Amino acid sequence: MYTSIPKGLTDLTLAIEKGTNAVISNKYNPFYYHGALPQFYLWVLFLSGLLLFAYYIPTIDNAYFSANLVNAWTSVDYITDKLPMGAVIRGIHRYAGDAMVITIVLHALRVWVTDRYRQYRWIQWVSGIVLLLMVLFIGQTGYYLVWDERSLVLTRMTVSAFDAIPWIGPGLKAWFLNGTAITNLTLSNFLFIHIGLSFSLLFGLWVHYVRMTRPIITPPPAINYMLMAALLVVVFAYPITSGKMADINTAPTSFDIDWFFLFPYWLMAKVDLTTYWVLMVAATVGLCLVPLPSLYKAANPIEAAEVVLSKCTGCSLCSKDCPYQAIEMVPAPAGSRFKLLATVKPYRCSGCGVCVGACAFDAIDLPNLLDTDVTAQIRAMAEAKPN
Amino acid sequence: MSEQKVITLICERACDLDSVCNDKGEVKEVDGLHVVKLPCSGMIQPLMIEAAMKAGAAGVIVTGCQIGDCYYREGNRMIRERLLGQRPPGLKKTVDRQRVLALWLSRPQKDRFLSEAKEFVAFVRQLPSPPPAAAKPAAK
Repeated sequence: MYTSIPKGLTDLTLAIEKGTNAVISNKYNPFYYHGALPQFYLWVLFLSGLLLFAYYIPTIDNAYFSANLVNAWTSVDYITDKLPMGAVIRGIHRYAGDAMVITIVLHALRVWVTDRYRQYRWIQWVSGIVLLLMVLFIGQTGYYLVWDERSLVLTRMTVSAFDAIPWIGPGLKAWFLNGTAITNLTLSNFLFIHIGLSFSLLFGLWVHYVRMTRPIITPPPAINYMLMAALLVVVFAYPITSGKMADINTAPTSFDIDWFFLFPYWLMAKVDLTTYWVLMVAATVGLCLVPLPSLYKAANPIEAAEVVLSKCTGCSLCSKDCPYQAIEMVPAPAGSRFKLLATVKPYRCSGCGVCVGACAFDAIDLPNLLDTDVTAQIRAMAEAKPN
Repeated sequence: MSEQKVITLICERACDLDSVCNDKGEVKEVDGLHVVKLPCSGMIQPLMIEAAMKAGAAGVIVTGCQIGDCYYREGNRMIRERLLGQRPPGLKKTVDRQRVLALWLSRPQKDRFLSEAKEFVAFVRQLPSPPPAAAKPAAK
């Protein structure tokens, strides 16, 4: 029971959730939809991004700053200044990204505080870290796309960081720049990374959800309205502005930092590139090792449920109710009176016993707590004479 | 009057009754209130509730974590739906619904459990005892 987490921390979480329940009822408690919140912002980002994509022009052309210049910066400028509601859509796209990072971190924190990240859940934890890294990189490419002076600095910093990696560095640099120097092709590559990687998030999310039955991926509409309202308040309170248009013949050195996406660049400016990569890789690997099986196996052994082959009628109630997709219905062996037979995948099983509660035929058991024993205990208690 | 027993089927992650129970799993403050711990309230079979009633218990208290916050994702929601008859297997019609209480309490809510349980125990004990089940017609 929450053994690896300080007790006060989980009690505090439970108390906060209880307070929230008292105010807005369990059904609308955002703590119970923490995984669905970034998913909601992902849809907001897809929609607002589609609208921005219609007017965005991925070129860096800035020949002599002529009056009718058409490039990435001027197209973003056009979206912001001329298009009706353009500044709002751009603001939504920017701040929804920030909100997504915040909600992902909150999601990870709650999962950690309530001890729901390890053993049979390791695949969700590790895929979650990969998804977070993808979201961060997608967000950073979004900052390159506006092509102001900050974009230029960030692009150059990224190029030098890639260049510092042994063996694959030069290849990564060429892939990133789509050539050997910053050209129009670079920006179309950034646009491709920004959009293509966003869609591959959906594949990552599939891995994230695949072991869960009925994953909660949509908050109730009332929460969606609240999330959207919170976003719009920030959008109108802090309108987005571009910096000066980038000129590749200049070398700007400082920029405003967005702490949600650009903190790696802050680190990159502080330490040398080898240290930077060592720290980054160590942080990622360290996070992935948090649910390392050997840390928990001895303290919290899980005994997978077992099907009593002679009793199973193949009704598939346990398979429908299993929260981790651990029970599969297979064709019953020849000679059986029934068509199907339940089988347990032990590496997915959490040992929670929901399948025991679902079985009306006493055909599935937890090896360390037989339901016949529980029933016998209940009978003995109910029949015992008062002292 | 004989003190009829009341059985509590509780999730080990829901409200923490260790400090108020004796080593036999009986709540010290309330006479005849027994506690059976399970890894998750989703493990409770409706058959267990029926068995308790048949063995002479006055009532059954089902306790899980707050609805929405199940460590195993859906356990408390499932037993709630089973008790309400929205998910098979359900509770038999012969079970007196007045004698089943469901509480959804998080770990620190021990006092809430005790107050609710005291009230429920007093309530089920003053209910008239159910008429003995009619004898089954003899098989022809």
